Amino acid sequence: MENRAKNIIGKVDVPLLVLFLVLVFAGFFTVYSASFSEESPQIYSMDKAYGKQLVWIGISLVVGILILTLEGNFIRNSAYIVYGIVGLMLLIVLFMPAIKGAHSWFKIGSFTLQPSEFAKFATSLAIAHFLSTSGVKIQDAKTKVIVFFLIAVPGFLILQQPDPGTLLVFFSFIFVMYREGLSGNILLGMFFAVIIGVMAIFFKASDANVNVFGWEFGANYLYLFVIVVAVVLIHFGITYLVMPRYRGKKYITNIVGGAMALLLVFSCNYAYDNVFKDRHRDRFEVMFGLKLDRKGVGYNSYQALSAIGSGGAVGKGYLQGTLSNDKYKHVPEQSTDFIFCSWAEEWGFLGSLILIIVYAAFLIRIIMIAERQKSKFTRIFGYCTASILFFHFMINIAMVIGLAPVIGIPLPFFSKGGSAILGFSIMIFILLRMDSERKDVLR
Amino acid sequence: MLVVSLVFGVRLLYVQVLNDDWKNRAEQITHHEITIHPARGLLYDRNGELLVAVNQVYDILVTPKEVKNIDTLQLCELFQISKEEFLQKIEYASTGYNVSYKSSVFIESMSKEEYSRIAPNLKSFNGFESTRRTNRGYPYSVAAHVLGYVRKISAEQYEEDQTLGEKYYNQNDYVGVTGLEKVYEKELRGERGSAYYLRDYAGNDKTNLDETYAVAGENLYTSLDVKLQAYGELLMTNKLGSIVAIEPSTGEILTLISAPSFDPNKLSGREFSENYKELLNNDTLKPIINRPIYNDNYRPGSIFKLVQSLIAMQEGVITENTGFACNKALINCHSHEHPSNVQIAIQHSCNPYFYQVYKRLIQRGEKTSIFKDSRLGIEKWNASVKSFGLGTKLNTDIPGVKTGRIPDANYYDNEFPSKSNPYGKHRWAFSTIYSNSIGEGEIGVSPLQMANLAAIIANRGYYYTPHLVKKIGKDGEKRPEYLEKHFAMADAKYYDPVVNAMEQVVLNGTARGAQIDSLSVCGKTGTVQNETFNDHSVFIAFAPKENPKIAIAVYVEYGTWGGLWAAKIASLMIEKYLREELSEKGKKKEQEVLDAIILDKHSDFK
Repeated sequence: MENRAKNIIGKVDVPLLVLFLVLVFAGFFTVYSASFSEESPQIYSMDKAYGKQLVWIGISLVVGILILTLEGNFIRNSAYIVYGIVGLMLLIVLFMPAIKGAHSWFKIGSFTLQPSEFAKFATSLAIAHFLSTSGVKIQDAKTKVIVFFLIAVPGFLILQQPDPGTLLVFFSFIFVMYREGLSGNILLGMFFAVIIGVMAIFFKASDANVNVFGWEFGANYLYLFVIVVAVVLIHFGITYLVMPRYRGKKYITNIVGGAMALLLVFSCNYAYDNVFKDRHRDRFEVMFGLKLDRKGVGYNSYQALSAIGSGGAVGKGYLQGTLSNDKYKHVPEQSTDFIFCSWAEEWGFLGSLILIIVYAAFLIRIIMIAERQKSKFTRIFGYCTASILFFHFMINIAMVIGLAPVIGIPLPFFSKGGSAILGFSIMIFILLRMDSERKDVLR
Repeated sequence: MLVVSLVFGVRLLYVQVLNDDWKNRAEQITHHEITIHPARGLLYDRNGELLVAVNQVYDILVTPKEVKNIDTLQLCELFQISKEEFLQKIEYASTGYNVSYKSSVFIESMSKEEYSRIAPNLKSFNGFESTRRTNRGYPYSVAAHVLGYVRKISAEQYEEDQTLGEKYYNQNDYVGVTGLEKVYEKELRGERGSAYYLRDYAGNDKTNLDETYAVAGENLYTSLDVKLQAYGELLMTNKLGSIVAIEPSTGEILTLISAPSFDPNKLSGREFSENYKELLNNDTLKPIINRPIYNDNYRPGSIFKLVQSLIAMQEGVITENTGFACNKALINCHSHEHPSNVQIAIQHSCNPYFYQVYKRLIQRGEKTSIFKDSRLGIEKWNASVKSFGLGTKLNTDIPGVKTGRIPDANYYDNEFPSKSNPYGKHRWAFSTIYSNSIGEGEIGVSPLQMANLAAIIANRGYYYTPHLVKKIGKDGEKRPEYLEKHFAMADAKYYDPVVNAMEQVVLNGTARGAQIDSLSVCGKTGTVQNETFNDHSVFIAFAPKENPKIAIAVYVEYGTWGGLWAAKIASLMIEKYLREELSEKGKKKEQEVLDAIILDKHSDFK
């Protein structure tokens, strides 16, 4: 037993562990600063957010160490069971009393548990297990459907809470699929779809009118027209100029693609008018810079950017913030979704850059670990971890620095929230455990 | 991953390092500046009496952008205003040069009592705050024209201060607008202090960042004698005109009275606008005009004969003993003894005598052409007259001092009788301008200049620029320009006949009403021709004859003739100043003056 423990510790990937611990503790001290109060400055106080956070970090590390003692096979074989348990939790949580308007939490004493945070690693485990099963090929339509359902079931339940932010994270699995052989065209198609969709919303939101030859109509109609022209041009461009050999063959694909683009624009316009609520519309308008609204919906973004900007090159110093902390509270959610403000204000551009570099190194390390696996399960699980963390990181920072609309998703290891840190820690420790036995596993 | 990191890095570089917008916005969010108004300096009279005091008042400020979630009804009730007024005030605070994210005055000058009633509730209204300030108070209610007043800076003045000035003022600051308040604004206002606070999202001040203390303004120690000023204003009740009294040995102004006057307290506090409009527009007597310095188109009348005598003797065109016949064919006159010398001529104010004196000054026979000769003569004469402070701007420390007019060659060449149709060069001579000889014609003077003339004669040949402030600050000094002697172009030796004549004017001549028992008063009456109504009554005097303590000029508009009202008022002022208690004769005179109502409501005053 002792020998085995030694073995595991000896084989654990030290760079990843160190980066993980760095992020966790940097995160804790940022939470401390963001919710710091001069009235009770002690680090451990259960009345204060950072006291609870410290407890959760402790729990996470204990659970992490427990995971390191598990057998790799045991983890692999428990994948569906874990997935099932978490799925059940997602179902039950819908019947829990709403907190802040969402049925997302189990309340146990003064602690709350958010099962959607566990759904991230549970779904990753399930996907990894399924795709690593022998005979399963990503190219098969059947595989795609099953994977889709593995993702869609928890996704659907999460949407019912409702928690659209977390749902968005589930889209990150597309990167994993791509790595595992999903056609690049689909990824590319989705990429274009996002761009076309965002632009459609932009034109719709701008509500601008254009005047062409005396005809005045909405810019969004002009945009539609441009897409039609573009599709036709691309079609003829490809078929007659670039690849004359394929003349006629890609006809159907292009027509379908063009039609889908048009459909997308129409549905974006439709959604904008009929599905979105005013608050969503406002967020888009603020993000597109159509509004610099510092008191209404733009308030969060305005305050956040002010805090970040006020940090300057080297920041104001630890605990010296004047916008994003509990004392002044100019930045809302300063210890959760907007915690980056606190960091950026106190450590300035230099600190922000270091944070981004550490994060990048952390994610790159995860991908490196995933790539060196012989075990398909571990590789896929590694990619799932990297994709989810990347997605969180990208959307959270983009939102805070005003590059994306305000979407409520946390910055892993920084944002206050016990379930999140536990969930992410479990992912990292599973990966560390699986990686530590990579030499013992053949497939 | 790398692309995303790069994008984030660039964006952060822009937001945090390259661009200052967000830093400024952050400051706007967190910083709260509270202005600490310094106490404005006080004004004292020459005997240490408080002329201008300060009252503690409170302004309620509003920052329209921060007004949210308030109970408007409750607020209106608290301030006792209507909903319309409330909206109007908010509108006013967000438009024009008031901007909605900065605080502007919502209600000004609340008394301590009013403020203490609303203070406990003020905190519950977001966007409203109070600031303490001092307001002017005038214990004696006199000298409104001299003291001037203080009011909120005008949009134009603020703009000027921001663009061309020293950028000192805030939009809510109070500045001196006229009088000493304006001239000594910089000394009186002191230095503003401010406190910076960091505030939280709800607008509570949490941390004091920095504080600069306010420095109180300097006190002004004026030369006014408040009792004499008040007495003069009392005597001028129901009359139009001016009284200026100067201490000849220093040039310090003892009183500067413009009648009708008004209570300076009217232009302090919340009723400013109504009262100002009333004073400016609704009163046909135009009390807002400061007549002794601003009205410079009075002709000096016979008083000018004093100047003519002195210049003529200095220039050598006559001697003290030169006599001229009282030739009524030249210019009209009354019957009197033969003017065999200067003294008798002045004493009886002989018009033909001075016609001939002036002729000698203007046409000296240096040129054969009388036109060329007159041009030369008038230039010389003009320079001499100006040395008596006439036709030049006296640099008194009060705004609006006017120059008056002593005509010169250019004036007759190009401006008289009108600019479009002047006489033209070499087309006028003494015979055209002889009215100047007896102080009529084209001469214009202000009462201040006439009082200064009295001071010059009292001093036998020199004056200090009349001024109102003895020292700035308790240990301050007088401005250096007021310590400088200005010599009139007539030597001291020529003054004796003039002074003797002035003494005789009071004892036996036109100003017997100015006699004071056992005090030698020297004076000269003037009756200033006025086309619209009765002539103006003018009198200048100084006393005592030797070592004079007070020089005075009194103008009573429409007062008919010099000896009638002006001389009596001047003598009462002199007696009050030198003796404090009036004699029986003086009391009788006082009653006469107080009973007199001399107004012409229909005159079109310019």
